[in-house]
Amino acid sequence: MIEIKNVYKSFEQKEVLKNISKVFNKGETNLIIGRSGSGKTVLLKAIVGLHEVDRGQILYDDRDFTSMSQKLRKKLRQEMGMVFQGGALFDSLTVEENVRFPLDMFSELSPLEKQKQVDYCLERVNISNANKLYPSEISGGMQKRVAIARAIVLNPKYLFCDEPNSGLDPETSMVIDELVHSITVDLQITTIINTHDMNSVMEIGDNILFISEGEMCWEGNRTEILHADNQKLQEFVFANKQYQKIRDDKIEGK
Amino acid sequence: MNIFNQTGKYFVLLLKVFSKPERHSLYVRQTFNEIDNLGVKSVGIVAVISIFMGGIITLQVAYNMSNPMLPTYLIGLGNRDTLILEFSSTILGLIMAGKIGSNITSEIGSMKVTEQIDSLEIMGVNSASYLILPKIIAVVLMFPLLYILSVFFGLIGGMIVGPAVGAVTVTDYLNGIQYLFNPYYVTFSLMKCLVFGFLISSISAFFGYTVEGGAFDVGTASTRAVVNTNIMILVWDLILTQLLL
Repeated sequence: MIEIKNVYKSFEQKEVLKNISKVFNKGETNLIIGRSGSGKTVLLKAIVGLHEVDRGQILYDDRDFTSMSQKLRKKLRQEMGMVFQGGALFDSLTVEENVRFPLDMFSELSPLEKQKQVDYCLERVNISNANKLYPSEISGGMQKRVAIARAIVLNPKYLFCDEPNSGLDPETSMVIDELVHSITVDLQITTIINTHDMNSVMEIGDNILFISEGEMCWEGNRTEILHADNQKLQEFVFANKQYQKIRDDKIEGK
Repeated sequence: MNIFNQTGKYFVLLLKVFSKPERHSLYVRQTFNEIDNLGVKSVGIVAVISIFMGGIITLQVAYNMSNPMLPTYLIGLGNRDTLILEFSSTILGLIMAGKIGSNITSEIGSMKVTEQIDSLEIMGVNSASYLILPKIIAVVLMFPLLYILSVFFGLIGGMIVGPAVGAVTVTDYLNGIQYLFNPYYVTFSLMKCLVFGFLISSISAFFGYTVEGGAFDVGTASTRAVVNTNIMILVWDLILTQLLL
């Protein structure tokens, strides 16, 4: 479980996060949603420590990350996996080497055991026959899946995904969503996904936080979101007429 | 004020670079990769540049020594001392700042803007140390070797061009390059090479590591890295020459 309490963050004079508090549960796909520029990436990067918060607390299973020493933070980071918007695979390493990298850096496994773990993770994300290819030789969807494999190779307790579906076609997006959801449930990890893709929200949104202009506006789940009476949330959700129709149909009992 | 700010950030980054590595074996492997990438792959360009440099210096020394009272073997001596003292260390340093330096800045800068560095940090890896330390070690180790190769190829260049234009015979040239040889000149230049190697790798890495934005900013950072490294090479050349010669 990850809990954030009264988090504030500003860059120079501009306040980007204002008093955000939320509990992200274990074994659920927790989503942070909002328009582009609403502060969701800053919030996610603050949670993982890539941005220092100005005020507030971030607790990983009651361990206060904000007041932790760098040494302890480094140790805690080995319990985290993160999938970046562009995949952030290392260009100079092959698919297999990318996934093995965290094992080489931090585990004491034998080369054979490492290979087994790499194969298991690549299999888990449905990648085969691409082990020796470089990131530039595979598609965007495959890059995202390799990034997920790399993120889970050390059996993390916390998984973070920053816009995992950006730049992907709807079908591949759905595959990625299902993959992250099943990994979350199977491994019982705490997953936080940053997205503005309403399809993802409706597919896997167990626990949703909506932020707008750096402020927490609404929280709930995917069944509640269509009926929420928050004005800003409605503007975000029903920007796509399809969801307006789904809501109207539900109200009319169709 | 910006220059003090940048200098401060440079030293803070160096502190991070020289902190304890997570896994020595990976750093060693990375260092060998960098020796190959930054050092061994520079041998070709060093050879070509040095042959031309040696040939041109020989021609210019010969032109300035057209007085029949001066023995022609001094042409070889002039080429040798110019190469050993300045050209094969400083001029090569300026050229390598362009080749190796821009390579380092653009590689690290691209990693920064594509979040690969963030990705290392999230894993708990000291990204500055993992990416920069092997490059510094590789360049500091390889630069003195490239210097020795440069002197060798420069002397060969002089030996080809001098006799080819009739300025000096091969025998006189070979006598000249052995005449009044002072080994300390080599020691002095090797020390300069260690400093230049450190400056090239660390300054270029700093500009790459601190880049913000996209591809355009990486290009700008590469240019700034080369310009700043060149200035620092010349400043340290002046300081070391005054201190050590």
